[in-house]
Amino acid sequence: MSSKAKKESVHVVSRTDGGWAVKKGGAVRASKTFEKKQEAVDWGRSNSIKAKAEFYIHGKDGRIQKKASHGNDPHPPKDRK
Amino acid sequence: MRPFEKCVFVNCPFDPEFRQIMLAMVFTIKRLNFFPRLALERNNSAESRIRKIVDLIDESKFGLHDLSRMESKKANELARMNMPFELGIDYGCKHMKGGKWSDKRILVLDTSQYRYQAALSDLAGSDIRSHNNDAKIAIREVRDWLVTESLGTGPSFRALWSDFNYFNAFLADRLEEIGSEPEDIDEMPVPEVMHYMKEWFDALDR
Repeated sequence: MSSKAKKESVHVVSRTDGGWAVKKGGAVRASKTFEKKQEAVDWGRSNSIKAKAEFYIHGKDGRIQKKASHGNDPHPPKDRK
Repeated sequence: MRPFEKCVFVNCPFDPEFRQIMLAMVFTIKRLNFFPRLALERNNSAESRIRKIVDLIDESKFGLHDLSRMESKKANELARMNMPFELGIDYGCKHMKGGKWSDKRILVLDTSQYRYQAALSDLAGSDIRSHNNDAKIAIREVRDWLVTESLGTGPSFRALWSDFNYFNAFLADRLEEIGSEPEDIDEMPVPEVMHYMKEWFDALDR
């Protein structure tokens, strides 16, 4: 697997009961569950920012709908001092 | 040569609307250490499609048949006959060829559970399962079938659904690495997607 896939990640995925869950990459259990997708996206986004993790929003069929990187910029701005 | 006992012939629609359900089923089969066998796995123009399909059925103990396209959606569109036809070949192989083939296992899936009774009444009395056009349910049906008919036990359906989501994220990242766009996933040849599945499983199990 590439090094990219080993980064910490946070995922918004659909649940079997029709709701939505936020899960950390590799976890089977949800960190938190929600009735509405937008609530899961908001909570997941703020957690991924805190954790400096990749943030993925999945569709109902598992496909990636959106991705955001937090704190993993491979080309950070240079120190000007 | 892949072992007969571990091969699963996958007979399903290859159209874009069905692609994610097909990938979810293929993912589940591979994750449970079976070999999905699809007509798409070989791209030899010299080989006739029906010959290829007969070979795949002959080499597979398990047959997964999805009849989702038995009904046309629009006026003047014809229903697709390939899937019921291939189910018939598999059924005939099980009941007429003898030997190890009589131990074949068959799962028939459709979008709804009882539609076949009107379209394919020869299957009356058979246990047809439905996935309701939902990749999650397709994973559960394929998982439960292989666990019941062969494995005895296996990873939970929820674990497989999580893994499938993580795999989709991994695939999007891999495409980015090679300079592709996420939407290119929809055009990627299925054998290539299966190659990435193996790469991901190998890393996960390491």
